[in-house]
This record gives sequence, structure tokens and C-alpha cells, in this order.
Amino acid sequence: MSKTTLFSFSEVGLDIENSRILKGLNFEIHRGEFVAVIGASGAGKSSLLRMFNALASPSSGHIFFRESPVETDIMSLRKNVGVLFQNPVVFNGTVKENLVIAGRWDVNIAQTLDHELTTALHQVGLDNIKLDQNARDLSGGEQQRLALARTLLNHPQVLLLDEPTSNLDPKLARAIMDQIEKLRESLDLTIIAVSHDHTLMRRYVKRVLVLSQGEIIADGSFKSLDKTNIFEEAGLLKDDDET
Amino acid sequence: MRPDFYILSWNDLLVSLLFIAFSIFLIKKWKLGLENTLLVGTLRTFVQLTLMGYVLTWFFDQQHWAFMLTLLFIMIVIASYEGTRRQKNDIPHFFPAMLAALLGSAVLILGTILLFILDVEPWYSPYAAIPIGGMIIGNGLNSTALTANRFVSELKHREKEIETLLALGATPKLAVYDSMKASIHAALIPNINAMMTVGLVQLPGVMTGQILAGIDPIIAVRYQIMIMYMWFTTATLANMIMLAIVYRQFFTKKLQLRRELLREKA
Repeated sequence: MSKTTLFSFSEVGLDIENSRILKGLNFEIHRGEFVAVIGASGAGKSSLLRMFNALASPSSGHIFFRESPVETDIMSLRKNVGVLFQNPVVFNGTVKENLVIAGRWDVNIAQTLDHELTTALHQVGLDNIKLDQNARDLSGGEQQRLALARTLLNHPQVLLLDEPTSNLDPKLARAIMDQIEKLRESLDLTIIAVSHDHTLMRRYVKRVLVLSQGEIIADGSFKSLDKTNIFEEAGLLKDDDET
Repeated sequence: MRPDFYILSWNDLLVSLLFIAFSIFLIKKWKLGLENTLLVGTLRTFVQLTLMGYVLTWFFDQQHWAFMLTLLFIMIVIASYEGTRRQKNDIPHFFPAMLAALLGSAVLILGTILLFILDVEPWYSPYAAIPIGGMIIGNGLNSTALTANRFVSELKHREKEIETLLALGATPKLAVYDSMKASIHAALIPNINAMMTVGLVQLPGVMTGQILAGIDPIIAVRYQIMIMYMWFTTATLANMIMLAIVYRQFFTKKLQLRRELLREKA
């Protein structure tokens, strides 16, 4: 079966205030993939991730989503391409209010029934959380899961992860990534994760894009790249596996 | 017997300088270092208002709609400039936003007052249009300038929240709705509080001035009530027009938050 291309980057570059953040990016992301973009701090990972759901636009080149330029229908693109930020925003209010925040503009979400919301929480491993609980009382890991459940209520096809576990301890980080991997399979999600933690990422992803100083210097599997010194070249330590 | 007028002569006004002399004495005693600024302020108050008195006298003699509208428009332009100057942050196209907000509220509110409340004849009579217009413009200026500053602070504070909402599929307007709500609340609550306490703990300036000028307090009170309602509506309308224009400046055509506008200037 041929691979369906979801994203296609063609000579994409990004300049911010006269400094070049990303340059000459050419790659494709296929349906069902779990891709990691790894690189040291300041390599341009987060800037790249923001372009997948048009929170930022390239200064040069083109990005296509399902063969149409990403700007064609930005609202629908953003519903299709959910994102889980590094420090997820939890709005003032209950767990339920947080889950259905998109109900302000989306009737389907506004009409979601309580048992469906409980299912959504269960899906991300939040089993002992009540819908009327104050969301800001949740722990860091629980808030991260709540943000994930909120994103999944939009039924996205693609999930972007921006250093999703960087503020969590290694055990919790693994638990969340395990959950995300399960969701990828059950919901047929395509996942693009940016991370500086290749030790964690190598457990889940089959393909890795190595970003260094705004350029992709390698694209392949961890296994194949381990034979090279590309990780050191990208400013990443090879032996920082703490588990 | 109730006096009809308390005429304030130039000599009387000179006596009022004693207030300033007393303030300077206090300022010096506390070594606040504000004497020179206060002297400039005192002089400017005197010169500006005296000149304004002569200008108004001249305008009041004109009795022509074009004069009245021109003066009001000039006042709106100056107020818009002043509002723009008061911004701590760069807001693109803020001057036209202020112009639209003040023009819109002046036309609607002043028009209603002149035509339907006071039934002024002719409608452009400067005796009503200029002082009431001045109050509307001044109040609109103060309120919108504060609201815009507050709005940008809210955007800075809620940057991640706004991007989260955009990422979930919100329109820019919905993504900044909470920021707009918080800044308008901050602008309107003092007005509502003033309406709650007026007459109980304070006698407003217009009413006091009218009573001093010999107007029956019952009539002065009616004016004051109208002015309180007018103030609130001006603040509401001017802020909404201003924000409806300003929030758009913080987004690109591709519905992206212009984060560079939220960074502190170097």
C-alpha cells in the first residue's frame, strides 16, 4: 500500500527579526507516522512545529497539507492538526469547562455529553478526576493529560507534541508517552513530536529528523543514525539514557 | 435669599493661587521635588483655560453648524493623538482606531442628546454642543487610552492561552475574547461604582458648577443624571469600537498572533 502524504515541506525557511531560524527544509510526513524532530535548544524545533498548524508561516518556501497549501483553510487545518504544548494552558474553571472550551465556537463540542467527557478523560488515563473539579488543582502530569484530552475532542488527524514531557519526571514522562503511543494506534493518529530528549523518543518513533542550526542534517531511523555521529553533531549527548 | 450668581472676578482668582502656594509649601516641606512641575502646571492651567474661554466666546458667537462641527472634529483629532501618545506599547493603527471610537461615540451620543434629550434649537447651538461634546470626547479619551493599555497587558499575560485557543480552532476574536472582556471590565467598573455612590459621597463637578452658577439644584441634578448615563455609554461604546479595531492589529491575515508586538521594547 502506498503511503499517503499528509505534510509536504518544500524549501521552507523562516526568518525572525533578521535572523534565520530555519532554512531549506524539504521533507514529507506520511499518514500514521510517529516522527520526532530532535535537536539542541535553539535549533528551531518549536518554530518548525508551529508551522504545521499555521501558528507561524514560513518566510520562504511552501507547506502543503493533504496537497493543499496550509493557508487554504486555516480553521479546519487547526482542528485537524492538534497540538500539545510544552506547558499546557489550563484555563480558570472546572475540568469540564476546560474540556469543552472549544464549545465556544464549535456546537458539536458544546453539546458533548458528560459521559463522553468522562470517556475522553479515561482515554488519556485520567480515571479519578471529576468533571466539576477545579482544573488548576490538578498536578502537572494531570494537567498535561487534560490538555491532551481537550485536543483529542477536536478529533484531530495529526497530533503535534512540543516537548510534551520536559517538565515531568522520567517515570511520568514515560507513562504519558506510552499513553500517546496507545492513542496513536487506537485513533489512527499521525504524531510529530519535537524534543531534545532522544533517549525517550527512541522508544516510540520509527523516524527522526535531526535539526541543527535551522537545517535538517539527518532523516532516518534511530537505528541507522546511531551508526553515525549525527547526534553529537547536532549538540545532543548520546549516552544520557537514565532509564 | 438665594444668590443668583457667584461671580468670580480675576482678583478672586488670584486669591485662589493661595491654594497653589500652600501646596508648594507642603511639597517643599516633604522635599517631594515637584515645585517646578507644579508651577508649570499652574501656569498652563491658567493660560490654556483662559485662551479656551476666549476661543469659546468667539465660537459661541459664530452660530454656524460648520464652526461647531469643525471645532468638535479638531477636539477629536487632538484627543486621538493624545490617546495614541499615552500608549506604552506600539499598537499599529491606533490613531485611526481612537479617531473612529471618539467620532462614533460623539456622533451617536452627542447627536441623541442635542436632538432628542435637550431638543436644542438650532441643533448646532455651541452652548450645548461644545461643552457636552467636550465631556464625551474627554471621557472617551481617558477610558479608551486606559483600556488599550490594559488590553495589551492582558494579551501579554495570556499569550499562551490565546495560542492554545487558536490551535483549537478559535477565530482571533474568540481567542482574545477574555482579554477584551477583562480590559472592558476594568474600564467600566469605576464608572459603575461612580454611579453607585454619586450624591452619597460626592457631588459631581458639573452639578456643583451649575449650582454655583445659580441653577435650581433640581435642574442641576437632572443634568447630572443625564451626564452620568452619557459617560457610561460613551465609555462602553468608545471602548468597544476601539477594541474591535485594535484586536485585529494583533493578528496576521493567516490568523496568527503577532507575538513580536507583545515583546517589551528594547
